[in-house]
Amino acid sequence: MRVVLTMKKRTNPHIPIEAETINPAFLRWGSDDLTVWEGNKERRLDEVFEIEVEGTASSVNEVEVVLRGDTSRVKRVGEYMDGGRIVIEGDIGMHCANFMAAGTIEVMGNAGGWFARELRGGTVVCHGDAGHYCAAGYRGEKKGMKGGKVEVFGNAGDFTAEHLFGGEVIVHGNCGDMPGVEMQGGTLTIHGDCSRPCGNMTDGRCVVLGCASGMLPTFEKQGEAEGPDGLPLTRFTGDVANRGKGNLLVRRYQYLE
Amino acid sequence: MSELLVKNAYVIDPINRIDGEVMDIAVRDGRIVEDVGPKAEVIDAEGCLTLPGGVDSHTHVCGTKVNFGRYMSPEDMRAGREVRRGVKHATSGYSVPTTYANSYRYALMGYTTLLEGAMAPLEARHTHEEFSATPLQDMMANTLFDGNWGVMKAVSEGDIERVAAIVGWTLSAVKGFGIKLTNPGGTEAWGYGKDLRCIKDEVPHFGVTPAEIIEAMIRACEMLRLPHSVHLHCNNLGTPGNYSCTVGTFNLVPDLNEKRQSLYATHVQFHSYGGSDWKTFCSKAEPVAYTVNNRPQIVIDMGQVMFGKTTTMTADGPMEFNLYRLHHNKWSNHDVELETGSGIIPVLYRKKNLVNSIMWAIGLELGLLVKDPWRCLLTTDNPNGAPFVKYPEIIALLMSKKYRDAEFATVHRRTESRVDLPALDRELDWNEIAVMTRAGQAKALGIVDIGKGHLGIGAEADIAVYPLKVGEIDPAQEYQKVIDGFARAKWTVKRGRPVARDGEILVHGENTTIWVDPKISPERDMSRDPEFTEMFNHWYSVRMSNYPVQDEYLKRHLRMETEAAI
Repeated sequence: MRVVLTMKKRTNPHIPIEAETINPAFLRWGSDDLTVWEGNKERRLDEVFEIEVEGTASSVNEVEVVLRGDTSRVKRVGEYMDGGRIVIEGDIGMHCANFMAAGTIEVMGNAGGWFARELRGGTVVCHGDAGHYCAAGYRGEKKGMKGGKVEVFGNAGDFTAEHLFGGEVIVHGNCGDMPGVEMQGGTLTIHGDCSRPCGNMTDGRCVVLGCASGMLPTFEKQGEAEGPDGLPLTRFTGDVANRGKGNLLVRRYQYLE
Repeated sequence: MSELLVKNAYVIDPINRIDGEVMDIAVRDGRIVEDVGPKAEVIDAEGCLTLPGGVDSHTHVCGTKVNFGRYMSPEDMRAGREVRRGVKHATSGYSVPTTYANSYRYALMGYTTLLEGAMAPLEARHTHEEFSATPLQDMMANTLFDGNWGVMKAVSEGDIERVAAIVGWTLSAVKGFGIKLTNPGGTEAWGYGKDLRCIKDEVPHFGVTPAEIIEAMIRACEMLRLPHSVHLHCNNLGTPGNYSCTVGTFNLVPDLNEKRQSLYATHVQFHSYGGSDWKTFCSKAEPVAYTVNNRPQIVIDMGQVMFGKTTTMTADGPMEFNLYRLHHNKWSNHDVELETGSGIIPVLYRKKNLVNSIMWAIGLELGLLVKDPWRCLLTTDNPNGAPFVKYPEIIALLMSKKYRDAEFATVHRRTESRVDLPALDRELDWNEIAVMTRAGQAKALGIVDIGKGHLGIGAEADIAVYPLKVGEIDPAQEYQKVIDGFARAKWTVKRGRPVARDGEILVHGENTTIWVDPKISPERDMSRDPEFTEMFNHWYSVRMSNYPVQDEYLKRHLRMETEAAI
């Protein structure tokens, strides 16, 4: 089953849309009773999107949802998703894939803040850049992402994989400030540069294949290690300030002057 | 003129010695009257349990301390979310919910009067602002004096009249209700990096001991003829072996008042611990309850702990810091000028944890071992022991040995050797529950005379009708019905107006703030006392004129004037 949702022209395209109903589990049964909130107005799904449906599905895993048009203001797509596939052909708004447990979300453009926050399982891919708090926890919460895989081919913002507890996060570009802060498990791989990685981490593994600037002095240097393709890396453990036993491997690093 | 008739009510009203009589209650203009005309609005109670509106004599629902709990725990706000509907505001939060959520949830449980347990004088304005956003309950605020420099200096000079004068000025300035002492002297000592272990240790620089502060405050309270007694959170909260300190404090208390207690000791569960460290930790509810049974001048509240997430908050900063060192979770301490301090940490009470399981048992032991229900009130010290929404479960635990045993089977297995709970067979009856949740609380607060906690002629028409047919339910067996019944009142009537029905909030009400204004002779008026004014100028970062709360902060209020003996 394939459901194509094409964004209609809106009078004010800046108003955000809360679209937690864009989820294969709901769309499988048709879109008649599904609504989204546009600002403070509740709208039927077909008032906002052109909907084309092909075929049927016997389980949620056979559902593919395609989002077209300017979806950069559409929030919470794929929230609590537990199977199936969503393909977003452009950009996507904040909180995409939060609490997702299974299935696949692929974003061809850029993703907004809180991308794949508190992920439980499944695969989330972003071909463009992701905003701040990608694959992170949420305000006040002790455990962030617990499982699954997040891959960002562009850059990610600040606080990537904050409170990471399990699963795998791969960023092919650069990260902003404080990736992996408060990490308690899982793995985070950054192919580019970042600053101040892994503050307060207690467990888990973070690999920075670029340069870690503003390296925190609370990590103990343990020696050399070998990274992918035989790259020589420097291995640290920490965060000592938090009695942590995490692993931080960096290609290059420089402490704050 | 509004009239209301509650028909066929199965009434339990302990203050008027009514224990299970089917009768009609007539209400005119917010007061209970003999009868009403034929045009009155009628509520058919259908023989269901009808009690005076609930009174909570110790809860933390308003003020900066509660609000800081909200700041600190954004994750708590992810629970309990409800959208705005009808007269209701949107709500969210579980252990430190929004003011409206507090008010609605209390109203659904039939509660109509609340006492905010601790208000720092400097933060009174915020507390009163939050009171005005707690629409369905009448509110009072106990005012903190535990580290008050003026008070401690007067105590060290042995001038009880001056203590009374300072208390009197502060209460009327901040529109407070009574005296709250939280770890008296201890928070102040902690400001100097010291700690007080018990009531005989001296507060650094002041030359007074907690024992002297407590006794002076009790005498000052009687001098001012305050409706409520001193409301005391004892020293050394939450440490193993602190029961001896608690018993020692209780033995200090003179019996000075015929009508009510001389000391209200709060959350005594946290003060009834035996053992010498966390490994030997055990229950000492029995000696504490024995002392209470023998000293009629003392009323306690349980401070029951229930399992689950909550946020602890108290003016006892040092204790919260010690708890933080145990948990390594978030923590906040707050300094509030020269009167008190505060601390906040989120906690999770777990059945798997031996200490938590023992704490749970101690609260229930106190509820069962104190013979007189008028002197052991049902609270959780919301939200310290548990959020108040757990009250129905506590009621059921007290009423049913079967339920207690079923719960006991799920707690940490080593609890059995540390507590007496499995040996207690007492099961409280409906009347005793009515005493512990409303009549006793109103009496202890001294608000029976203004029409709270009973359903006699002239009383405020605060009525709670629960969907419980007393004759048809055996609370010892069908405890789930008791929980469900108390959790959702069939009707809650506040000041003659139905405010909640079967889980729905019906109106956006307006509360009454009850405050006390002791009338003190002009020569003891502290606002004209040069030494007192000088203390503000010299030591405080704010001026004396920053303290008084203007009338604009009180929307609708009831001023209780007392004729002070000074």
